[in-house]
Amino acid sequence: MNHLAPRLCFFIFLGVGLMLTNFSCQRVDPNCFRLELLPEKNHPLVHLRVLLRIGSANDPRGKEGITQLCLNLLANGGTRTKTYQEITKAFYPLAVSVELNVDKEMSVFSATVHRDNLEKFYALFREMLLDPGFREDDFHRLKTDQLSFLEKTLVNNMDEQFGKEILNLMLYENHPYGHHEAGTVETVKSITLDEIKAFYKDQMVQGNLIIGLAGGYPDNFPAKISADFSCLPRGFTPQLKLPVPKPAKGLEIVIAEKETPATAISLGFHHPLTRSKDDFFPLWLACSHFGEHRQHLSRLFQKIREERGQNYGDYAYAEYFLQGRDKFPATNYCRQQQYFSVWIRPVPNSNRHFVLRQTLRELQKLVEAGIPKERFDLVRTYLLNYTRLYTQTLAERLGWQIDSHYYGYEDFLGEVQKRLPLLTKEDVNRAIRKYLNYQNIYIAIITKDGEALKEALVANTASPIKYANPRMPASVLDEDKEIEIFPLPVKPENVLVVPASEFFQKPGIPGKK
Amino acid sequence: MVQLTPALLILLGFATSVSAGSSDIFPYAYKMEQLENGLTVVSVPLPFPNIISYYTIIRCGSRNEVELGKSGFAHFFEHMMFKGTKKMPRAAYDDFLTRLGAGTNGYTTDDYTCYFVVFAGRENLSRVVEVEADRFINLYYDEESLKTEAPVIEGEYYSSVSNPDRRLLELLRQTAFEKHSYKHTTLGYLEDIKDMPNQFAYSQQFKERYYSPDNTIILVAGDFNHDELMKLIKYHYNSWPRSNYLLETPEEPPQTRPKRAHYPWPARTLARLAIAFHGPAFSAEVVDKAALDLLAQASFSPSSPLYQRLVIEEQKCVSLNASFPDRRDPYLLIFTATIKKDEDLPYVEQQIVAELERLKTEPIPVETLAGVKSNLRYSLAQDLGTTDGLASTLAFYLNLRPDPQILNRLFRLYEEVTPEIIQQMARKYFRPEASTVVTLTGGKEP
Repeated sequence: MNHLAPRLCFFIFLGVGLMLTNFSCQRVDPNCFRLELLPEKNHPLVHLRVLLRIGSANDPRGKEGITQLCLNLLANGGTRTKTYQEITKAFYPLAVSVELNVDKEMSVFSATVHRDNLEKFYALFREMLLDPGFREDDFHRLKTDQLSFLEKTLVNNMDEQFGKEILNLMLYENHPYGHHEAGTVETVKSITLDEIKAFYKDQMVQGNLIIGLAGGYPDNFPAKISADFSCLPRGFTPQLKLPVPKPAKGLEIVIAEKETPATAISLGFHHPLTRSKDDFFPLWLACSHFGEHRQHLSRLFQKIREERGQNYGDYAYAEYFLQGRDKFPATNYCRQQQYFSVWIRPVPNSNRHFVLRQTLRELQKLVEAGIPKERFDLVRTYLLNYTRLYTQTLAERLGWQIDSHYYGYEDFLGEVQKRLPLLTKEDVNRAIRKYLNYQNIYIAIITKDGEALKEALVANTASPIKYANPRMPASVLDEDKEIEIFPLPVKPENVLVVPASEFFQKPGIPGKK
Repeated sequence: MVQLTPALLILLGFATSVSAGSSDIFPYAYKMEQLENGLTVVSVPLPFPNIISYYTIIRCGSRNEVELGKSGFAHFFEHMMFKGTKKMPRAAYDDFLTRLGAGTNGYTTDDYTCYFVVFAGRENLSRVVEVEADRFINLYYDEESLKTEAPVIEGEYYSSVSNPDRRLLELLRQTAFEKHSYKHTTLGYLEDIKDMPNQFAYSQQFKERYYSPDNTIILVAGDFNHDELMKLIKYHYNSWPRSNYLLETPEEPPQTRPKRAHYPWPARTLARLAIAFHGPAFSAEVVDKAALDLLAQASFSPSSPLYQRLVIEEQKCVSLNASFPDRRDPYLLIFTATIKKDEDLPYVEQQIVAELERLKTEPIPVETLAGVKSNLRYSLAQDLGTTDGLASTLAFYLNLRPDPQILNRLFRLYEEVTPEIIQQMARKYFRPEASTVVTLTGGKEP
């Protein structure tokens, strides 16, 4: 790729940056970047966020992992004039680093810096994104790290995440979402530095960028940034036209087999909603009732953890969820397609069959009976108050602002305050019946003795469990009698047992024809 | 001239009101009071609108687990603290927090256990104070409830069982310490976790000893009025009786020979190395720990020559880190590395040891030290940038010394540290006979 044009631009505009305030074109011209500003004049900090409207779904076939590797070279590599070592040395006294998050259709560089240090930081940050070095040694370092993550860490050191990633493979087989952001061992190995440079040239164009600024930045700073980033070529990558993902037929199960004392379970299925649809609000409320992330109010949490002490927690989500600060949702993981999911944290292997039965039985009850009136009132009140805590930091406030605009709102959280009071229990139950089901589900399980579990699932073998408490309440024991024989319609051809080490070697689910 | 510190004023029966001075790193005015029963209250009204963080800091953590078979108990008891009271049983407590839409949880560390309720709306403060006071004074649960909760801890243990870093730290502490309760992690040993269902009587004793006002700090930060807060706290917490229990942690004998241990991880993983030396307890008065903090940053942060060589240039390591946590009793100075190839483990170990030897003879450049001090100041400014960021940061320091001035004193001490002092500390603490080296390597290709 030829870097000359952007570089030339960089120097030309350096002196005249303040004069170039092309904000006016930004909301109408798709070839132009957009600014998202959130000034808080007296705030001592400034948060910068450069968002690309591309992600791992834009990886070309056979080069899965290239978006992450390319952007990581910008965030954690040198520039044309400075080595990565020089950059880390310069950043250190400022207590700042550039964070990179790559998702399916969105990637974000972000940093929070004290306003004392804004100029110094920004001078380097700008160079990292607009004039990268693409050095061989940085490329080798980051590619090796990405491969280590896929080959060793993801499969062997983080079972809960591993389970979620297998669920993603199942939900999006032969789909642009259907690989991990880090790619696969085979495809990452095949990526060359020239391919990275070409990818940068294609994707780092103005229209792909949203540039966010929040906090106590000087009045002239947006103009300065605007001038600098105007040197990128105009243009944009059209939003992906995603295929309809293949729904599960019955209970489709993949068991990743490894030596482990506990079983991690993730399950889910697609739905056609995103936050931009009206029906999202009642579905979101239903999921909060069923499994609000790390909160006691969750029905699954109450039944599995609180009543029975089976594990650390059990949650359900109406859309892709990543935990941000504390337990709040992370921002800027917007997607065109979403799914419902349940995350069952590791349970002792001896109880895995029981807990899977219990989870699906609870889901069936939710779909068939809906949400009770008192729970509807409670969860609605909860969400109205809890979402007021989502925007405590500059990064959160700016992140939510960007997400709001992506989904077509001026202020999504403000919309929550307006819409939830208007919702009825019937709205929620209608959404539950329309978008949730208990018959067609993808289920990912990380456990040992996978074949034994498969056999038990297919045969619907009874799965009673034992408690440390000899005086468990009769209501719990009575319900257990129903759960331990709760039939799961599992067909042998729908259960795949695969050694854990075979995942993420190549695109797709290993062992699947 | 005798200068009265805020802590001293409190001992003399005064309440303290402190404005931030121009040289203070802690930028907010705060007030501190102590009730007659020993409960310390720190309040920091903040300009950020509408959010209030209400923290209850119990100065009890896994450090307090000095009896055999009781490892992990402080963390287990944290779980039991959510069981409600006779006046407000668990379901009612959950219902209250749910309607409030509060961000709420607890966490347990080596030295303290912290419970927080973060919520919107100052009109909710009075009810939060009432409910939290009731919970800490009148906690009630039966043996069955304890037996049901105990396996949740086992589940929590399993949720990170596949993480080799946790295993490395467990093995390091187990090897490095002989007697002190820092020998085990906050989760505790698995065999002790499995025995938790049988510890009902001990749990009652544990509460009486440690969950008392003389061992507790209430920290409130955010959008509220101090006088109103104090009125509420005095009304609701006054009946909480003192414990007067004095914990004696076993003294760790000086280490006289180098120790080494290895953990064979059953699956493929990147190799891990941890090298530790026994270090000093936290202090904002004695310079040792402050100087070591600066040493860790100067010599092992991403800008340090060793990091740049091992991680960026030679690409032997994925990460290199020095961690000298602040603890109430003497803890460990820990260096860790995640290494790309097993065969490079000895080389990386040798390079870290060589760097520590170099620190004994060559002073750190003055400009490097200035960069470290700048980093620490700006890092803290970022931590203090939100209501809850401030509360969680301050909670940590209040556990060490129940006085917000501790942060100002610590940062003034940092300013006094010179390259020569750092050199002296390297000589004093990095003695080979006081070292513990722990390694972890993975299984072979499938």
